[in-house]
Amino acid sequence: MADVITVPQVQPVQPALRFLRVIPGVLLLAAVGYAGKLLEQNVGAYAKAHHWTFPNIEYVLWAIVLGLAISNTVGIPELFRSGVATYEFWLKAGIVLLGSRFLLGDILKLGGVSLVLVAIEIAGSLAFMTLLGRLFQLKPKLTTLLAVGSAVCGVSAIIATKGAIEADDEDSSFSIAAILALGALALFTFPVIGHALHLSDRAYGLWAGLGVDNTAEATAAGALYSDAAGKLAVLVKSTRNAMIGFVVLAYAIYWASKGQARAVGNKAKFLWQKFPKFVLGFLLISVLATYHFFNKEQVGALANLSRWAFLLTFAGVGLRTNFGEMRKQGLRPFAVGAIGEVAIAGFTLALVYGASKIFGW
Amino acid sequence: MSAEVAGGKSQSRWKLSLDTWAVLVAFLLALLVRTGVFKHIPW
Repeated sequence: MADVITVPQVQPVQPALRFLRVIPGVLLLAAVGYAGKLLEQNVGAYAKAHHWTFPNIEYVLWAIVLGLAISNTVGIPELFRSGVATYEFWLKAGIVLLGSRFLLGDILKLGGVSLVLVAIEIAGSLAFMTLLGRLFQLKPKLTTLLAVGSAVCGVSAIIATKGAIEADDEDSSFSIAAILALGALALFTFPVIGHALHLSDRAYGLWAGLGVDNTAEATAAGALYSDAAGKLAVLVKSTRNAMIGFVVLAYAIYWASKGQARAVGNKAKFLWQKFPKFVLGFLLISVLATYHFFNKEQVGALANLSRWAFLLTFAGVGLRTNFGEMRKQGLRPFAVGAIGEVAIAGFTLALVYGASKIFGW
Repeated sequence: MSAEVAGGKSQSRWKLSLDTWAVLVAFLLALLVRTGVFKHIPW
């Protein structure tokens, strides 16, 4: 019992109370997301009626911008915070439901290509971020967190690694802030670069899935380009997410060998604990769709449910991004993250470009 | 990810991760669509 922390008894929060607590925030997500959808429909029509030249702005961008405006001006009152935090839940439910729009053959074909690209991306990003961390003389565990965050899957990977390598809370806050800030920037830069380079939906979707770190931002960056690019970005990002356990396990073993983290006992159990279960859900729904468990109308209904779930996610991405809070975390880790992200974005773009030449996309 | 805490019986044995909840809810929705409870979902 020596290694078990004993704390005073805390009254557990009743599930019903926890459910009630999230309602205001979920309603806020729905309101912001739906306002984004209404703006997409009405602003374009209004501009056209008045003969204005106005770009067609998708609901994805409206929802994010509205969320950012609220978060960075009036802020999010305490009442709404736990509900706004559910955006991750909607993201994962949306990804599982999106599986109905993929046939298993497509997943195997695209997943095979993306798996090779993901492996190259992860190895290259980990090596580059580690080198950068050493150059900037960051703390080794902070460097590990930034490397895992940029190479694998953003915030989830940082949280999983933090526990496994026993990193400081401060280091993980730094890394999460850097990854989130850079993810927010990617939302606005990736589609612009993609259009400037005339990337196909497939090439852009691959790039967004490989180059944007956090799953919510990768999904949004893909959807901002096109529906097809959004689907592919989710598939590639999910392939990256599936790698999380292996990378975290490798780092856990490394830090344990240095006597700075607990040794990993059962490795298979460790991998299962870290494996993102929504990836399995996504695959299972895809198997069901492939074997016609759902008819055409039902697949359409599931796709729309997935869109509604993503709508809440995109609103959440804007609402939880507060640039003032991020600034407080300091400049050096952010600079390392920024240099690393730009390099990784360039590297992954070159990978996708090379693959598109080989496969004729 | 989560620290082991002893201090009573407040930790539920059936505590599921966010991922697992998301998968369960998505499958429940898929089942409701499949059984015709939700016939048409507008967008």
